[in-house]
Amino acid sequence: MPIKLLLQMSLRNILRHRRRNGMMLAAVVVAVAAVVLMNSMIRGMQQDMADAAVENLVGHVKVLAPGYRDDPGIARNFALAGDWRPPDGAPEVAGWAMRVRVPAVIMSERGTRGIQFVGVNPAQEGISFLSSARMVGESLKDASDGRIIIGQALAEQLETGLGRRLVIITQGADGLNREAGFRIAGLYDADGEGMEGFFVFTGVGALQEMVGAEVFTELSIRLHEEPALFALKDALVEVFTGLEVLDWRELEPQAAAMFVFADAAVLIWFFVMMGALVFGLVNTLVTSVMERIRELGMLRAVGMRPRSVVAQVVIESSALMLIGVAVGIALGLAAVFAMGDGLDLSLWSEGVESFGMRTLLRPVPLVDDVLLIALLSLGLGVVASLYPAWRAIKVKPLEALRR
Amino acid sequence: MSDVANRRTAHVVDCAGVSRTYQEDAVPVQALRDVDFQFSRGEFASLSGPSGSGKSTLLNLIGGLDRADEGAIAVDGVALNRLSESELSDLRLRRIGFVFQSYNLIPVLSAQENVEFIMQLQGVARGERAEQAVECLASLGIAELARRRPGELSGGQQQRVAIARAIVTDPVLLLADEPSANLDSGTTEELLKLLRRLNHERGISILTATHDPMVMSYAKRRVVLRDGAIVEDSAH
Repeated sequence: MPIKLLLQMSLRNILRHRRRNGMMLAAVVVAVAAVVLMNSMIRGMQQDMADAAVENLVGHVKVLAPGYRDDPGIARNFALAGDWRPPDGAPEVAGWAMRVRVPAVIMSERGTRGIQFVGVNPAQEGISFLSSARMVGESLKDASDGRIIIGQALAEQLETGLGRRLVIITQGADGLNREAGFRIAGLYDADGEGMEGFFVFTGVGALQEMVGAEVFTELSIRLHEEPALFALKDALVEVFTGLEVLDWRELEPQAAAMFVFADAAVLIWFFVMMGALVFGLVNTLVTSVMERIRELGMLRAVGMRPRSVVAQVVIESSALMLIGVAVGIALGLAAVFAMGDGLDLSLWSEGVESFGMRTLLRPVPLVDDVLLIALLSLGLGVVASLYPAWRAIKVKPLEALRR
Repeated sequence: MSDVANRRTAHVVDCAGVSRTYQEDAVPVQALRDVDFQFSRGEFASLSGPSGSGKSTLLNLIGGLDRADEGAIAVDGVALNRLSESELSDLRLRRIGFVFQSYNLIPVLSAQENVEFIMQLQGVARGERAEQAVECLASLGIAELARRRPGELSGGQQQRVAIARAIVTDPVLLLADEPSANLDSGTTEELLKLLRRLNHERGISILTATHDPMVMSYAKRRVVLRDGAIVEDSAH
């Protein structure tokens, strides 16, 4: 049977029951728009978790001394020239930072806290959250700056403020405790209070002097694009023999697990929404088919093959889905762009931070996701039409004509 | 059906020893008993009889819409009991025209599109299709209704469109099941004059199942069934 005739009849049959098919179409539009919006939110969360993990002093790839992760301290160190550069042939990187990071105790007149004391070169910290965090007071000037910057949360805990001196105790390279006083240059405001209470920064030269060794405990490298991660890792493994070269998924397994879960969540959400919708679609199509069973019987009586009847029902379903998917995607993307400034989740900041996310969630629509939604929806439309089509051809022409 | 497809026989329909039993609420009901019936080319015959006599059953068996339990039926030389469902579909499409009691036009297509529909199934080219459809509608006096949909037509007009759809491809046999059941007497007479003209002028073989004495009076041959058997077969 000519496809043009099938199309013509199918489309006119859709228009024949405008209200019923209109309501079905509206349900498809709403479901698809909701899936597009929700998936964009999930992708936004996913990207946010990954960015937060990478910016949280991790980078895409980090070089550490063996055993540092189990027993972090200045004893697990390695030497690196100050003018180190990524090896030739490695993918182009966004930047790198050489740091000293040691566990320490910080004390004010009012309190004592355990912290991570990090020596940084401010010129290299464009790759971490330190460069974008809101700052009260001054940032560190250079690698030899002997002042400290602490998080606002820690300042509140220690009941201290700008310009005040704090005492920090850590273990030196010789295994003996070292104690020094540091003046607070600035208070940083990170998205997560956990980070604010945990990281204290000073110039890397100042910290090396305090621990008594011109060494580093980590080299953090950030890429322009994640896909280059494995090539960079391979290049670094060849250069840093005897050291551990780890990517952010290995260093932040919880964030990596959430990242993978988000991929699955996109599909789970789709099938929950569209799966429920399919039942409605099947019901609508069965009703439509049974209402015109006589007509379908006549078509078969005059010579239409069963496969053409099946094709007609499939086309009707597919056409409904096609229109619904197109409008739904447009509506979903419009909602995504309307939320371009992001969704403020600061009311639930503690819960949000526990997932490694920031409090401002921006939806991120991905072309691949939208295409997947479109293709899967159309596929579901075809699947949904098979049962009604089977019902249509199960009835023999003569039996259909008698109804 | 290829070996017999093109064989031309004197009888357009040949039924020999045909029986058909239905199950109604698990009770067997014999609708036809050992029926022999031949129908020649160019004939116009009516199958009549009381309800349950088997006339519609015989018509449906001849039209390939149902299968006999026993006996053989040949249409235009083709033995129906040897055909698969798809071959039966093809036979109905190319050799038989159907006119139903309730017209059974496709409501979403216009009158002309309904007539063209069968030709589309046959794969006739678009230009030729439209030309034949218009010509056929004109020959039945309803050319001006070509663009109207069935819902915009009277019962008589719809039945004319149904006849146009049935004859536009020059079938060897036109089967009409109670064609006048939903028509008033005036419209029925017009319809019967039309069928008689088609039978005379175009030599179309017409077999109709009917209760209507007026339809019987227009047919040249009257076949009466009772309790699943032919009890009278007369020409007039």
